[in-house]
Amino acid sequence: MSDPVLVVGAGLAGLSAAAELARAGLPVLVVDQAQAVGGAFHRQPLQGALSLATAAQDRRWSDLMAKVAAQGSRITLALATQFGGVDHKGTALLTGRMNRLFRPRAIVLALGARESVRPRPGWTLPGVETAGSLQIRLKTLGEAPQGRVLLAGSGPLLLAVGAQLTKLGSPPVAILEAGRPFARPLTPIGLPRDYWIEAAAYLSRLMLARVPILTNTRLTAIRAEGGTLVAEASSGRRFIVDHVALHDGIRPNDFGMPACDVLPVVRLGDCREALGARAAMVDGQMGGAALAARLLGRTAPSADPELARQTRAQARLARIYAHDVTAELNNLPEDTVICRCEARTLKDLRTLGPTPTARQLRLDGRFAMGACQGRFCGDWIARLTSAETSKPGIGAPRWPARPIAVADLLSATDETEGETQ
Amino acid sequence: MSAETHYDVIIAGAGIVGASVAWHLAASGARVAVIDAIGPAAAASGASDGAVSVASKKPGPLARLASASLLYTRELASQGVLAGAFHARPSFVFGQGEAELAALDALVAKLRAISGPVHVTGDGPAAQLACLGPGVERLITLNGEGHMPGHKAVRAYLSAPGITPIWPAPIHGFDIDDRGVTVHLADRRLRTGHLVSALGTATTELFPTLPIMPRAGQLFVTDRGAPGLLPGSLTAAAYLVAKTEAPDVLPLPPVVIDPLTTGQFLIGSSRENHADPNRVDFSTLRRLMERSVRALPLLAERRVIRAFAGIRAAVSDSLPIIGNLPGETRVTLATGFEGDGICLSALVGREIARMVHGLPPTDSIAADLATLSPARFVDARQEAWG
Amino acid sequence: MTGTIFWNGTAIPFRTGESVATALLRAGIISFGAAHTGQARAVFCGIGLCQGCLVRADGRLTEACLLAARDGLHLSPEAAGGQDV
Ligand SMILES: Cc1cc2nc3c(=O)[nH]c(=O)nc-3n(C[C@H](O)[C@H](O)[C@H](O)COP(=O)(O)OP(=O)(O)OC[C@H]3O[C@@H](n4cnc5c(N)ncnc54)[C@H](O)[C@@H]3O)c2cc1C
Ligand code: FES
Repeated sequence: MSDPVLVVGAGLAGLSAAAELARAGLPVLVVDQAQAVGGAFHRQPLQGALSLATAAQDRRWSDLMAKVAAQGSRITLALATQFGGVDHKGTALLTGRMNRLFRPRAIVLALGARESVRPRPGWTLPGVETAGSLQIRLKTLGEAPQGRVLLAGSGPLLLAVGAQLTKLGSPPVAILEAGRPFARPLTPIGLPRDYWIEAAAYLSRLMLARVPILTNTRLTAIRAEGGTLVAEASSGRRFIVDHVALHDGIRPNDFGMPACDVLPVVRLGDCREALGARAAMVDGQMGGAALAARLLGRTAPSADPELARQTRAQARLARIYAHDVTAELNNLPEDTVICRCEARTLKDLRTLGPTPTARQLRLDGRFAMGACQGRFCGDWIARLTSAETSKPGIGAPRWPARPIAVADLLSATDETEGETQ
Repeated sequence: MSAETHYDVIIAGAGIVGASVAWHLAASGARVAVIDAIGPAAAASGASDGAVSVASKKPGPLARLASASLLYTRELASQGVLAGAFHARPSFVFGQGEAELAALDALVAKLRAISGPVHVTGDGPAAQLACLGPGVERLITLNGEGHMPGHKAVRAYLSAPGITPIWPAPIHGFDIDDRGVTVHLADRRLRTGHLVSALGTATTELFPTLPIMPRAGQLFVTDRGAPGLLPGSLTAAAYLVAKTEAPDVLPLPPVVIDPLTTGQFLIGSSRENHADPNRVDFSTLRRLMERSVRALPLLAERRVIRAFAGIRAAVSDSLPIIGNLPGETRVTLATGFEGDGICLSALVGREIARMVHGLPPTDSIAADLATLSPARFVDARQEAWG
Repeated sequence: MTGTIFWNGTAIPFRTGESVATALLRAGIISFGAAHTGQARAVFCGIGLCQGCLVRADGRLTEACLLAARDGLHLSPEAAGGQDV
């Protein structure tokens, strides 16, 4: 049997790529660490749970699932299975439900995005999570959490989650948006029509429920007080809530993956560039077809202009929400936690001097040395420590792709044994 | 070009050896600059396990020098110079199977011969330590050794007054004349009376004929747990053998399990001939972990959160290179420490400072130090090609 | 409700297909005890990236947000003696 192409991530990009690879005749193994397919956008609800997807979204997803199903046994799907990484010999480790060491023919990394969340006092308190985390729970359970929710940060996701909470009968107490998306009415004009339709749907739902959308307003601090969370806005207003969901943008989840040059490894979808759902699907299709052509020695298909259109749309969205983050960072109190894993504060960062090297940040400061490898602090550390001349950041994240349980490593079936190298 | 800045001594390399040399010279009143292409502890010193160990050294001059350096490191720590960097702790060496048990006999004999600060305080079955598992047939407990993370020592040494740090600044070359040395950086030149090169694997960029090559060792870091479960490093006897013989004669992998103060474990290590810090592989990880779990079963509940290869500078005869460049009293080398630089750094710093000042080496170690002179390669080259 | 998991010995119901994290959150447990750094353990990213939601499941540390709830699963905080709010 020929080795399968390993596709990591069963979201739009991963499954689109899998369908193309299989259509070209290649066996494909798709793994995802979640219990359900769908990734960030199309996370499938539990049996019997209310679905939050619109008719158009449902159609897109069932079309894709039909394409996958059409490939029959050429595509194998393993859920609750984590990709631990690939080493320089081309050996990949899977842990969880499928637990093996093997050499795939090629690897597609469609790991999606990570959210960017600006550090704030209190952002490590229980009850404070990312807006994406809350959204996945809404999509999975089809029910809103008990109690009052405040949404804060910046970006269109806040409106989407706010509208979804409202649909589930629990509108947020407010949405604090640091940018001023409605202040430059001409900028959105160039956005594609479907972006408008989506935004209008969210906004009308929020307005009907009278959810305050406070723009040019930052959430400056969160405190725990008597079983609730007290959130302070830059306007001076205070919100007493049970949950705070934060979101300041989306970045590719590209950590812990040193290059492997003995087999093709490609990143697709948000994992390559965070451009949103429509782009992820096109990128998955194009990238999957291109990889299949490369593996089978055929000519590569031509690029789909849709990807460029989405890239332009995302750039425009970024302009609409643009606001000054540097000032916010510079005004943080000294005891604000920057690195969540190792509980390192801004003060700890300052003691390293104005322009510490990556090694100093890691070894002396212990920044980005925790289990998340800097996924949530790395960007901010780079901004907080960059002088005009040097931009050290935290250096390259180390392998593996995610923490590997020693027990899983030892129990993995080794399918590389006896193979010639 | 504008007037060149002048330093009494320039030290190339801000690893632990360069930092120790800088501290010793600054302490004697010299104006020194430390130059590094990247920054402090950017190479082997920041990627090492920090064992200050005599047990693991090759018998002979290296083991004797390590013993003297351990004593001196403890002295610097008690004076406060290395406070917070060095701490004393027991160390454990274990074996399983004939070859390793024989290596443990050799270890006991070696330590007795040195009669230095390291003592065997226990020798017997694994039961000496409650956390050990079936992979330990015989355990030797040592007292007197310690642990010193390289980056902490570098920071402690370089925080002394009188040391000018210069980085990131790759050194492009140097010229020697009658009155001193000119060091070339990308954008300027620096003048000094004396250049000490402590560049680790990068030594060959300035001294291309020296037989130094990169030797990688894969290291794996676990997540945190309650600290103090293992009171000191746990080293397989195979590791001692690996230092003197070809690794493929070993039946079992040479694991070293080091408990960190964070409650994490650092597990190593392989010996591979390349210089890629990201080159790690699952089969090595699994081999080391299988053995580690049999020796220390609590590791089965941990997760590996980070993996990398530390790159050590290895010399063709497995001995460091310490001393003046033959025929040049203005240029001194201190490199090729492979896996022993943390342990030897204190002593080397002191002795290099003496050389720079034109003083003879400390009496008790003079003979051993002499065997490490770079002259051994010049002679070899003259014999071979001269 | 289709099964029961145990948090520090307390029975918590769960729905088929949900994660340990969502089951605990629905039961009003928002803090999953303390990490070895002293930080509170809690859900943050929801997708296995931040490592904030680690809990001990049958002895092993795992992300609660990725771990499927299954009947009879016993869960406890990471650090022994850690604050369990
Ligand atoms: C919170 C959030 C909200 C968003 N809202 C919108 C929106 O309103 N409109 C819009 O157009 N776009 C939105 N996006 C972007 C959109 O969801 C994405 O562009 C698109 O879904 C990306 O698809 P993907 O296939 O690249 O990644 P994903 O759909 O994220 O799929 C990645 C998959 O990889 C799996 N995975 C990750 N690491 C591993 C591992 N080591 N082992 C195994 N599996 C792994 C994950 O579980 C996941 O299922 C949002 C993104 C996020 C994160
Ligand atoms: S909440 Fe981030 S890993 Fe589970």
